[in-house]
Amino acid sequence: MLRRGLLITAMLLVPLGVRGQDRPVRWQRTSDATEIPIFVFHSPQSANLPTAETLLKGEWQFEISHRFFPPFSEGYSALWGLDGPVNNRLGLAYGFNDRGMVTLQRSNLDDNLDLNVKVRVFEAGRESTPVMVAVVAGTAWNGTAPVLSDGSTRAWQYYGQLTANVLLGERFALGVVPSFLRNPVLDADQAENAFSLGILGQVYVSQHMSVLGEWNISEERTDFEYDAATFGIELETGGHFFKLMATNSLRLNPAQFVVGTPYSFAPREWRFSFNVTRLLPF
Amino acid sequence: MRPLNAPRGVRSLLPGRSPTGIRVFLLVCGLLAGLPIGVAGQEFHVDPDADNEVRFTSQAPIEEVVGITDRIDGYVLLNGPRLEAGSATEGTQLYLEVDLASLDTGLGLRNRHMRSNYLEVEEFPYAFFNATIGRVETVAAGMFRVTAQGVLNIHGVDREMEVPCDVSERGEGYRVRCTFNTLLSDFDIKIPRLMFLKLANEVRLELDFTVQPAPDP
Repeated sequence: MLRRGLLITAMLLVPLGVRGQDRPVRWQRTSDATEIPIFVFHSPQSANLPTAETLLKGEWQFEISHRFFPPFSEGYSALWGLDGPVNNRLGLAYGFNDRGMVTLQRSNLDDNLDLNVKVRVFEAGRESTPVMVAVVAGTAWNGTAPVLSDGSTRAWQYYGQLTANVLLGERFALGVVPSFLRNPVLDADQAENAFSLGILGQVYVSQHMSVLGEWNISEERTDFEYDAATFGIELETGGHFFKLMATNSLRLNPAQFVVGTPYSFAPREWRFSFNVTRLLPF
Repeated sequence: MRPLNAPRGVRSLLPGRSPTGIRVFLLVCGLLAGLPIGVAGQEFHVDPDADNEVRFTSQAPIEEVVGITDRIDGYVLLNGPRLEAGSATEGTQLYLEVDLASLDTGLGLRNRHMRSNYLEVEEFPYAFFNATIGRVETVAAGMFRVTAQGVLNIHGVDREMEVPCDVSERGEGYRVRCTFNTLLSDFDIKIPRLMFLKLANEVRLELDFTVQPAPDP
């Protein structure tokens, strides 16, 4: 009888011993995990054409880019172009919010000082095919604009671009960039309008390396008979993009580049070029 | 006479046949069973409105990389109503989770690399620490040194960890600060080797958060 009593008591008391561990927890997760921003191109620009990517709010980006005059085809005598001279660009960009950035950049070609604003206006396809669209509006002032026959100069240029990008699969980013430029040729008698259509693509081969190419279809003009095209590789790190490229264009700033180039895209006209950007958190 | 509501298998085990004896027995059991209710442990939740911060620091030779988020959540289950030195730790629970996609290193590009390439947050959105309180020592009035023992999961990999935390009373709740080091390689996180990527294998993790008593159900 006593044994039975102890057994029953033990059975009834067992739950008390584990009660602390089995208490139901009232906590519940109150919000979902942070949504991961979509991206298509990793860098805010391809070789010359803009992508729909922007800086984060408060982020700065410094750029130095070169276009070497001598083509690779000049060989060792010009150190395959590295002897120079070069067209140079220095740029500084700032993200005024997570979708918009302003860029000030200067090219030594015509002392072209360029200011533009890019705003990402659309993005979609988080669960399927990421798509992003941005618009760019800018103006450039040329410090060494040529003096025209009437003694005046037309130093100011204005342009607008739209860049629509899509990520196909996980590695192939593709974009189209229609551009409008007012006053493309500084020494023309009259200010003109120029239109071009850029196509850019980039294959992200690994976490840090990709292959890029772009082609800007432009109207044929005197001294700018050919489309500007560029291809190369991009290395990306935690804060840098290194673009090492071959191109038939020596022109860097948007108001200079979209008008075209005097060099064909034949291999003998390929020149070495690079862009280096560095993100700076202040 | 059989006790009411007792399962058939249990009835045959009940001692005695006297209704009075059974009633007394049940009363005693009921009293015993009711005793722990009076000393039930308190549940605390991470207060999302407090100044919480989770920080990782990678101190590499050339550059220090710091990632910060305030997206920490979780709960603490104590054995008693308050934390006390030397208090029993059986049955205590500590669960913390950090929303990894919210970590900000100050550079969007670096955030993207961290999310996509290293932490793979689409697959492993949270890092979590599931532990029990192992030791409680009083440091000063209202301040404790607590050691939590459990499993830290990052990048889908479990690692047994012992995490020391400084706990101080804050109103009805507590402010908790935990600091410990861990190795990225322990969690199968690939360390970037490319030039200008300067993450050290050893990173310091700092958790600073406030817990408040769980709201009544």
